[in-house]
Amino acid sequence: MGLARLRSRHLLHAYLFIAPVVLLFGVFRVVPAVQTLLYSVYKVELLRGRFTFIGLDNFRDLAAEPAFAQAMVNTLVYVAAIVPVSAALGLALAVLFNTRFPLRELFKAVYFAPMVTSTAAAAMVWWWLYNPQFGLFNVLLRLAHLPDQPWLMSSRTALTAIIIFSVWKSLGYNMVIYLAGLQSIPQQFYEAAMIDGAGPIRRFWRISVPLLAPTTTFLVIYNGILAFQVFDQVFVLTGGGPANATNVVVLDLYRQAFERYNFGYAAAEAAVLFALILGITAVQYLYSKRFEVAY
Amino acid sequence: MGRAAGRPLLYLVVAAVAVVMVLPFYWMVVTAVSPASDILAFPPKWIPSRLTLEHFTVAFAKAPWLTYYQNSLVVAVVSVGSSLLFGLFAGYAFAVYRFPLQNVFFLLILSTLMVPVQVTSVALYIMLARIEWVDSYLGILAPNFASAFGVFMIRQGIKAIPLDLVEAARMDGAGEVRIVLTIIAPLIKTTLATVAMILFLGSWNDFLWPVIVINSQELRTLPVGIALFKDPYGSINYGPLMAATVIASGPMLLAYAVSQKFMIRGIALTGLKG
Repeated sequence: MGLARLRSRHLLHAYLFIAPVVLLFGVFRVVPAVQTLLYSVYKVELLRGRFTFIGLDNFRDLAAEPAFAQAMVNTLVYVAAIVPVSAALGLALAVLFNTRFPLRELFKAVYFAPMVTSTAAAAMVWWWLYNPQFGLFNVLLRLAHLPDQPWLMSSRTALTAIIIFSVWKSLGYNMVIYLAGLQSIPQQFYEAAMIDGAGPIRRFWRISVPLLAPTTTFLVIYNGILAFQVFDQVFVLTGGGPANATNVVVLDLYRQAFERYNFGYAAAEAAVLFALILGITAVQYLYSKRFEVAY
Repeated sequence: MGRAAGRPLLYLVVAAVAVVMVLPFYWMVVTAVSPASDILAFPPKWIPSRLTLEHFTVAFAKAPWLTYYQNSLVVAVVSVGSSLLFGLFAGYAFAVYRFPLQNVFFLLILSTLMVPVQVTSVALYIMLARIEWVDSYLGILAPNFASAFGVFMIRQGIKAIPLDLVEAARMDGAGEVRIVLTIIAPLIKTTLATVAMILFLGSWNDFLWPVIVINSQELRTLPVGIALFKDPYGSINYGPLMAATVIASGPMLLAYAVSQKFMIRGIALTGLKG
């Protein structure tokens, strides 16, 4: 077979082989993404099949709606809490796990177990634990002669309760990622520092933390993007209540689109969410140029 | 702090955190198998006074759990199967061939990773409503027939294989499709297994898209079934609720118990969702 014919046959194969993925993604991912952005400047009446161009009205409605402002603030608080807390706790635990001790693999598996459990099911268990009257958390507080907490029932504590759940859910993941990072740091660095008389705390801050910077960046981006999309646990634990105290952007989007059929308004919310994710990705891109290390 | 002094303290911290991590699972199981009087007892009954399956009977009477299992399984198996098959061919094309617009298509596929279903759901729902895929298996599956993550991982896996193997097979007259299925696939079976596990887990635990696209009770997947099992305004019975949670989360926890090393490594090395 001639080389030219072989090449053109491979060209045919290449396009045939990527065709299913490209078509499926084009139809079910790319087109809906573009269309959602487009719908954000339309009034969408699905049942009548009517789409009316209304410019930036949906965004004006968003800006004027206190419920959206509240959802936005709650989401930002959630992101600002979950990202540093799970990274810090994950790092602390990874340092403990970076030594040899009996049953280490078993403990690691236990820490990681919430990660593989469905968020909806795990949140249902926590909903029971958070029950103000009979839930285990208040029962334990009573055993310790401490005052009961309202947990999910009060707008003061509900968001914190959701954050605690999410930390429990993702702690094992953060720990395992940091552990992999720690184990890739060459032992000579620590040995050299020990010869110089650096104690364990100094070694941690001067060697581990700086050399883990790429891992930290990855976790901040990854957890940040996921946190902006938080939905499952809020849906199950509080449904956004009490009085919108735990409403978040995706839950508000869900309600607006699929309970009230305000598709245009929901599309505007999706556009805002997309801008936030794009923002983090841009930060990641700039950062990844600074730390050209990966594992 | 010397090593000898640090040891017991380290163990204490590790064990204390482990108790916190396990407590919700433990209490879920204890509540599910305890008689009703135990559940509301103070001080709490850490060990059930007797074992009962009555909550499971109630849970099964109130919701079709076997149907939910079936729905979750069908959706997961079809989406993992098609993602692997399409991903294998696309990954091969991107790894082995050179063709015009290659990078454009590759970036187009990867860019979908940045746009989660949270962002596309509005237009996707409207589109599926038009072709009458809402409230069907096809509706849940639509965005999950292929996986950008799968294409990427498989391409990386194939790139690590020496191309001589492909050339040798071509010399022997093997067609490209046969090369992909009988030579490439077995060589990257570790990658395929990891991708399959992660996609299965993602599909099995997926909640937002199924809850959007499914209205009928008989089409609910397990996470949707459990989330809509509790009636926020009705009287709440925690025994059956926890029995339902055991039913919904048990199989995955069992699978994790027997394959935790593989699952932890796979998830840690690749990030979870596709």
